[in-house]
Amino acid sequence: MYAALSWLNKKMIICRNLSKSYTHGGGRKQVFKNLDFTMQRGDRVALLGRNGAGKTTLIKLIGGVEMPTSGKIERRMSVSWPLGFAGGFQGSLTGYDNARFIARIYDRNYPEMRDFVEDFTELGRQLKMPVKTYSSGMRARLAFALSLAIEFDCYLIDEIILVGDQNFQRKCHYELFERRAGRSMILASHSNEMVRQYCNRALVIHDGLATTYEDMDLAIETYDSL
Amino acid sequence: MSRSALRKLHEGWRIQVRVIHALMIRELNTRFGRQNIGFLWIMVEPLLFAGLVSVIWRFMKGPEEHGVGIIAFVVSGYIPLTLFRHCVGRSVSVFVANSSMMYHRQVKVTDFVFVRFLIEMLGSMMAYTFIAGVLILFNEFPVPADMGMFVSGWLLYSLFTLSLCLVIAPLSEMSEVLEKFIPVTTYIMIPFSGTFSAASWLTPTLREYLLWSPFVNAMELMRGGIWGDKVTPYYDVWNPIICSMVAALIGLALCRHVRRTLVVE
Repeated sequence: MYAALSWLNKKMIICRNLSKSYTHGGGRKQVFKNLDFTMQRGDRVALLGRNGAGKTTLIKLIGGVEMPTSGKIERRMSVSWPLGFAGGFQGSLTGYDNARFIARIYDRNYPEMRDFVEDFTELGRQLKMPVKTYSSGMRARLAFALSLAIEFDCYLIDEIILVGDQNFQRKCHYELFERRAGRSMILASHSNEMVRQYCNRALVIHDGLATTYEDMDLAIETYDSL
Repeated sequence: MSRSALRKLHEGWRIQVRVIHALMIRELNTRFGRQNIGFLWIMVEPLLFAGLVSVIWRFMKGPEEHGVGIIAFVVSGYIPLTLFRHCVGRSVSVFVANSSMMYHRQVKVTDFVFVRFLIEMLGSMMAYTFIAGVLILFNEFPVPADMGMFVSGWLLYSLFTLSLCLVIAPLSEMSEVLEKFIPVTTYIMIPFSGTFSAASWLTPTLREYLLWSPFVNAMELMRGGIWGDKVTPYYDVWNPIICSMVAALIGLALCRHVRRTLVVE
């Protein structure tokens, strides 16, 4: 009885029979269909696939930014918003304003958040400027700082955002992989090196179908041969 | 079970209140900035509209019409009308304009509609209070005879406006043609909004038709509250209530449908 209950309460993400297609005009594009996928707390999943295979789409679905055409996603742990360059910010507002907005909607203490953001981003006075004046590296710093300040169980990361300078990469590495070693992560990536270093499972998406791999070497080999 | 459902509902309500609060501040910041009078700008536009139009009418038609002051009459019609027109205008493409906020799961598409509506409503209420206050000092506007009746009319008018916005916002996402028709439609509907005429001035047949419009019913209620015995209001409170319920239900269903297929960059 209790064992069954504890299984119910277990922190995980379950995707059941997920399909996503986009229609525009008369055209219809099926990104993937009948995707089943489960991840546990602590899993660090690499999303592998060629450009346009649907990595970002899957991340958006798991993050709840877009809705699946059919199927269901159960989030039994707190999941970050997809960390990439594009979403989550209002370009005409300053870095501080965006931080205040995020603190409000996630019900976090703003002064604490501000201190962390100042410390992590090292953006200094630039935080008083509109986000649209930021470089993509600076946006990445801000996005990471905000999501780390909120503390999620699972982080959704588009790889491009990790391409910051050495200092930023070191900080991310420390905050994400050392201080929060037990957290989960989904990383959409083209870099074999990064995947091998950080992930323990992989999901290879190709031709609308997704395959799970527990063996990273096998996953990367498969991906390379696509 | 029902207890946990209730708790969920309460938690959801708490989150939405927080989100709407945050979105409102964000919207005010992006629209008006922090320079000069800042968010007080929200009342400037309705003020200018109501003020200038009523002055023009005053010179065109003289001080009074059917026993009510022309300036007060135009103000009482124009402020609700600007509320309606601005809300409709702001509802078009509201989802796309805010799509970057959809990265945060607790932000729902209907929140965007509520936020823009609330800001417009706040602005026009401030403008109304301000202009009526000034006009009362100059004896150009009556002190409302029945405040409750006036406020009920205002709330019904706003409620129907909000319900229409809930329909227009998703429709504008579904069809780009709609966007082209909105300015002309809001213009054409001016005679059906009760802005420039009271129902008692009309012939009985015309009145009967106009009273199908929820706006006219609400407007009559407001004017009845302002002038009291000096006017004869014709209204049925159930008309705006039922029309709002129907529009809101359709609107919420459309919002849900659009959200499922919405593409967020």
